[in-house]
Amino acid sequence: MSTIQLKHLTKTFGDFTALKTMDLDISDGEFMALLGPSGCGKSTTMNMIAGMEEPTSGKILFGERDMAGVPMGRRGVGFVFQNYAIFTHMTVRQNLAYGPRMRGAAKAEIDRRVGAIAELLQLTPLLDRKADRLSVNILQRVAIGRSAIMEPAIFLLDEPLSNVDAAFRAVMRTELKQLQRQFKQTMVYVTHDQLEAMTMADRIAVMDHGVLQQVGTPLEVYNNPANVFVARFIGAPGMNLLKGRPAESDRGLVVDLGPLGITPPLPDELAASVRGARGEVLYGFRPEQVALAQDGRGLAMPVTFVERIGARTIVHLGQGEGAVKAVFDNDVGLSIGQAAVVAPAAPSVRVFDAVSGLAMGAG
Amino acid sequence: MGAVRGKPVLRDEGTRLGFRLTLPAQILVLFISAFPLLMQLYISVTDWSPLSGLGWWNAWEMWNSFANYTDLAADARFWSALKRTAIVMIVCVPAEFLLGLALATLFADDFPGKRIFYSILLMPMMVVPAVAGYMFFMLFQSGGPVNDILSAVTGTQVTIAWLSDPTLALIAVMIADIWQWTPLMFLILLAGLVGVPEDQIKAATLLGANPWQRFTTIVLPKMKTIIIIALAIRVIENFKIFDTLYIMTGGGPGVATETISVYIYKVTTQDLIWGYVAAIALAILVVLSIVAVFAMKRMARARQVPA
Repeated sequence: MSTIQLKHLTKTFGDFTALKTMDLDISDGEFMALLGPSGCGKSTTMNMIAGMEEPTSGKILFGERDMAGVPMGRRGVGFVFQNYAIFTHMTVRQNLAYGPRMRGAAKAEIDRRVGAIAELLQLTPLLDRKADRLSVNILQRVAIGRSAIMEPAIFLLDEPLSNVDAAFRAVMRTELKQLQRQFKQTMVYVTHDQLEAMTMADRIAVMDHGVLQQVGTPLEVYNNPANVFVARFIGAPGMNLLKGRPAESDRGLVVDLGPLGITPPLPDELAASVRGARGEVLYGFRPEQVALAQDGRGLAMPVTFVERIGARTIVHLGQGEGAVKAVFDNDVGLSIGQAAVVAPAAPSVRVFDAVSGLAMGAG
Repeated sequence: MGAVRGKPVLRDEGTRLGFRLTLPAQILVLFISAFPLLMQLYISVTDWSPLSGLGWWNAWEMWNSFANYTDLAADARFWSALKRTAIVMIVCVPAEFLLGLALATLFADDFPGKRIFYSILLMPMMVVPAVAGYMFFMLFQSGGPVNDILSAVTGTQVTIAWLSDPTLALIAVMIADIWQWTPLMFLILLAGLVGVPEDQIKAATLLGANPWQRFTTIVLPKMKTIIIIALAIRVIENFKIFDTLYIMTGGGPGVATETISVYIYKVTTQDLIWGYVAAIALAILVVLSIVAVFAMKRMARARQVPA
């Protein structure tokens, strides 16, 4: 029984609304990432699940059980803090034993459980080390072990990798994902790093300004962003968005981008939902889904900057509102000032309503 | 700089230069601390007194072997003053510590009017000890406010002669000390308390620790260093208790509240046997140094384990 349901969850601090009526169902054993820029309400959501903060309104259910008024020590959640919050004045063993000891478990029982969890997390040789001089990956394991020993149904992780240097993060991600498979607990993972969310999570809840923007698997949010925010936020670099108006042409429905010219025709299914639109739209395509058009059919734009980062080359094209980026797998031989004709791959094109920002034809 | 490190000649040169540069400061330190200490040591093995007609540097003419120290060992008034000082310390320091800790715990959280209470609470520490002494002298008069309050509470006319009763006088003196110095303890402990990492406390809460368990397993161990500092300061200061006490009782009735400082003061100003005074003071210095060294050792050990 470790599903989590958030029902119309709202949190305000004075005049400031940190979270606006959030609804989210997290299923048993799922790894859910709460992703968004700082101030999007993800940590507030997490703190309310943990019981550190009371919701202003709305409900949190663990399974069938309403968590209102249940103090944080009694919710059965494991919490891994951003800096791990290891008890530095104790040994690794004392850290692991802390929970059972505070609940008055018998000495033999504590020893057995600490032994088992240390074995699982490969901490056995470190048990009698003081916890103040351990490397981050060991700290992470101690933090997880300290919570896991209580056998919580739910694990909450608050940006645990944000203090780790980039090279080590990949190792930690893999380790964390493996641990989750071992423990099979429901995990809620707060992060502002989309790479972490994309690589580890079963589903991602993208948030911005206290509003849940989209929930879906990593590929869903990447391929079919529900709105302009998600389109821009997910992907590195984010989706290119160009303002224009739908227009009929002899090859099918296109978007007239004004000075930039006319886009290649939209795929039929998308065209059907865009055709009725009156006002302006945003024509979106992934930087990775762009080809250089040899036949001249595409968007002609000047190259303004080229970033060569080894395996990939990021080409910046155009300026101001009409700026786009294109990512190529090899050095395409473009240089600054040159004109390039780029053609977005038709299946990856998305169109958004310029006013509401919502994806059109997304179902 | 790698080449320089390889040549010991140059390194010696650096050491010598460093010595020369710090020499003025070292001489100053020597005069401030070492000189008075040596002078005291010197006088303590003589019968010298300001009335002897000799300059202190000529005190060797009055060399008395170590008679001052043997006298001290046999001086019953000295030992009883020392014992009294210890009693005051054993009562006052723990009382100030516990009260200070309780107040600090209270003030670690927010409550309405916190800033005002905070200022009021620190006030006693700001009062000049002599003034505090006079204040408590007035409070504990047999017709004074303390007896008035006791009369009001008990409903009968209370006329206790606080400062004339040997036991009660000592209690009154201790109350004054606790009143004046609990704020210092509170202030130091509060600084330590707010320095305890909040997320570790939250982590402990999430692991099911109740407030008392959090206090004993997280807060107190994290405050160890600062607690040692606070206790060391108060033990050393309390050992030297003088101004308030002297104004309240003058060490009396009789010698009932005569602590070591009061005793030294009396011997210095009334008996004028300064050689003996120097011997007493040195003995006290040794005792206090042991306390300080112990505290510093504990601190150094605690510092190896950062919070």
